[in-house]
Amino acid sequence: MPEAPLPAMRRGPARWISVLAALGRVALMNAAAYRASFVVDVLVGAVASVGVVLPLLFVYEHAGSVAGWTLHQALLVTAFFLVLQGLVGLLVEPNLGAVVEGVRSGSLDYLVLKPVDAQLVASLQRVAPAKAWDVLAGLVVGAWALAHLPPPTWQGALLALGLLLAGLAAIYGVWVLVICTSFWFVRVDNLRFLLTAALDAGRWPVGVYRGWVRLLLTVVVPVALVTSFPAMALLGTARPGTVLHALVVAGGLLWASRLTWRGALRHYTSASS
Amino acid sequence: MIDVRNLCKTYRVPLKDPGLAGSLRSLWNRRTRDVHAVADVSFSIQQGERVGFLGPNGAGKTTTLKMLSGLLHPTAGQVSVLGHRPQDRSPDLLRRITLVMGQKQQLLWDLPPRETFELNRAMYDLDRAQFRRTLDELVDLLRIGELIDKPARNLSLGERMKCELCAALLHRPQVLFLDEPTIGLDVEMQAEVRRFVADVNERLGATVILTSHYMQDIAALTPRLLVIDRGRLRYDGPRDALASRIAPERRVTVRGEVPALRELGFREEHGRMVATVPTSRVNALLSEVLAAVPAADLGVEEIPLDEVMARYFRGDEGEPGQAAS
Amino acid sequence: MSAGARAGGWLARHLRATPTLLRVGFASMVAYRAEMVVWILTASLPLVMLALWNAAAADGPVSGFGQAEFARYFTATLVVRQLTGAWVVWELNHQVRTGALSPQLLRPVHPLAQNLAETAAAVPFRLVVLAPILALLLAWRPDIAWLPSPTQALLGLLSVVLAFLLSWLVQAIFGMLAFWLEQSLGLFSLWFAAYAVLGGYFLPVALLPGPVREAAAWLPFQATLATPVEVLLGLRDDPVHAVLVQLLWVVLALGTCAGMWRRGLVRYGAVGA
Repeated sequence: MPEAPLPAMRRGPARWISVLAALGRVALMNAAAYRASFVVDVLVGAVASVGVVLPLLFVYEHAGSVAGWTLHQALLVTAFFLVLQGLVGLLVEPNLGAVVEGVRSGSLDYLVLKPVDAQLVASLQRVAPAKAWDVLAGLVVGAWALAHLPPPTWQGALLALGLLLAGLAAIYGVWVLVICTSFWFVRVDNLRFLLTAALDAGRWPVGVYRGWVRLLLTVVVPVALVTSFPAMALLGTARPGTVLHALVVAGGLLWASRLTWRGALRHYTSASS
Repeated sequence: MIDVRNLCKTYRVPLKDPGLAGSLRSLWNRRTRDVHAVADVSFSIQQGERVGFLGPNGAGKTTTLKMLSGLLHPTAGQVSVLGHRPQDRSPDLLRRITLVMGQKQQLLWDLPPRETFELNRAMYDLDRAQFRRTLDELVDLLRIGELIDKPARNLSLGERMKCELCAALLHRPQVLFLDEPTIGLDVEMQAEVRRFVADVNERLGATVILTSHYMQDIAALTPRLLVIDRGRLRYDGPRDALASRIAPERRVTVRGEVPALRELGFREEHGRMVATVPTSRVNALLSEVLAAVPAADLGVEEIPLDEVMARYFRGDEGEPGQAAS
Repeated sequence: MSAGARAGGWLARHLRATPTLLRVGFASMVAYRAEMVVWILTASLPLVMLALWNAAAADGPVSGFGQAEFARYFTATLVVRQLTGAWVVWELNHQVRTGALSPQLLRPVHPLAQNLAETAAAVPFRLVVLAPILALLLAWRPDIAWLPSPTQALLGLLSVVLAFLLSWLVQAIFGMLAFWLEQSLGLFSLWFAAYAVLGGYFLPVALLPGPVREAAAWLPFQATLATPVEVLLGLRDDPVHAVLVQLLWVVLALGTCAGMWRRGLVRYGAVGA
């Protein structure tokens, strides 16, 4: 083993791409190690999607419009909800579960000592591909709803995509905030299931909710940003205020999550023995 | 290269009264107690040294090691490793050190170790060709050729530890922090790990800092000892010097049961006769033995290190707390 | 010793052990109180459903359900679902997979009896957590409050007890599927989806489309949730009949459970866990 000092580390996009590629590879291989459940997973996903849509169909059997939304407009919201649920199940939930596990088992120690951004790596080490079916179900429901609505403008579609991304960033931020609690209180890590329950409320148009519940869903657990807001963009009813709101909340939550993650890591490394 | 000045680590532990009432009371009236895990420790270590941290459970060995590697923030005092403050975790430093913990693992549980190695290559940004050379070399040294393509969960504890060492060394670190690397391994595997660590130290010129419960690890690997007890540094210096100070005696052994030697102070022990005498008296005793039993099969041994340490922590050395550095 | 006497001895031993089992169950409940609060709060779906139906009924009653009726219905659903909550499917699944069942089998008390006692011991705790939520709901809509007649109350209580038993038995049955199947939890999610739609969880059974409603009457889902809710609220014309149907389901489930347990243990022993 001859003496050979390491060349300086690359910086910038090339290095991030190579780290991300390596992480993606490992995540997919990890998922493949548990392929037994595929058929049942798909079946469960399909039935659960139907379970999300069905109550809406029953409601509209009795009412022409609910809180100012017609059936197909509301279905558009549900479609975004299914996409969100799929992405959360696909990416967010397995990774943040892995972080909680890492805190408990101490394997996070090794992650902290790698010359990479620990939050990035911790957020992207696992995927659960079976959950992609929720995303697919969302696309199907969305296509069905759009077929019964006037076609959206391309500006509207673009805005919807932007709002969706902002909303996803906001949800990711909230999730990180919740996960950070497990650095302090290892036993309340199942708070994250509470968050899943809170996201459930995003399946209806936000107009259904009043008062502080609506505030909760647009600011604190801003699931409406992912579901109602992009739907409004597609329907052409999004106002500039909507966009501003989404950007402020998403930016704020991402920033807060970054700050909290740092603090949590510092606490973790100064508390573990 | 590693420089530690007045290092302290204090934990604030909540005190909880037992029972439901106790936990309710502690909600608004949290009482705490300070635990000084490491108190005012100073030392420095040169490039290429092999140093062993020794001390009873909870003495502060692991806490010190974690502060050196940057996992823990010190409460007070300064640490400098290769010119960096470890707790800043600058990528430049992280690429030059490594930490192996016998009780925690970085191998991806469901995948073959090779995948962990690949991931580490990306994370440490290693050149592919150099990575391959290092990997081949390590695989060869550790004899893990057949293991690295089996899922880690199917490996035995010892096999896993060898792969952990491999994963930790791919970036050719200059400083190795080893926390109980042989814990739970069988005797043969322990010896193999020790041999490997000594090899790495020689070939890479890497500094090795080790904590262990197994005295054989220390005896075989680290000429220099840091003895930590209740958070304080009690000894810093050569292993042999400590042994001769604490136990300035030798064990004279004679093979076979020779009752006649009892008069010279020998006792029977596992089929041989043993007498423990001050070093200065060894020669005289040897002549006495040969006079009594001309064909005696004689041997002279040092006091085993674990007995030395047992005496040391009992306080047999007369003046504890004097660090001879 | 005759089989009858042996069964009698078994029963007597378990009855004698019941107070101790309940006390231990309550203690473990207290130990896991933080988790328990979170688990209880995750069952928020009735409130999400309430928001939708409340909005739908804003312009007038839907099939006889006004906003107050919906609020009362979903509040009752929330309470009954909490009182009949169980977790034996996850516990059993875990125990069978990891082999943690083996030490339990060596004890003189039936492992399922212990879980049943823990589940029952959690009920008072669930009520305590529910109290503030109910207070909030009452503050929002004071007209939720209603006073059942003595018969309604008595039959309702009986109905809740039967629903508790049936929910627990169904979960135990799905949990025992783990003796044979990898995917017993996935199958339980399928059951849950059907229960949500047909059992009165997502919407009052009366609002289901005609043919679906008639089919649902022959299925066990209502007996675990809708029946006690409707009996308590006085929505059934035939409460005694409804409770008798519940009893029938409980007996059927108990038989299935016992048979599966016997065969499952043979299988468990054969696989060598």
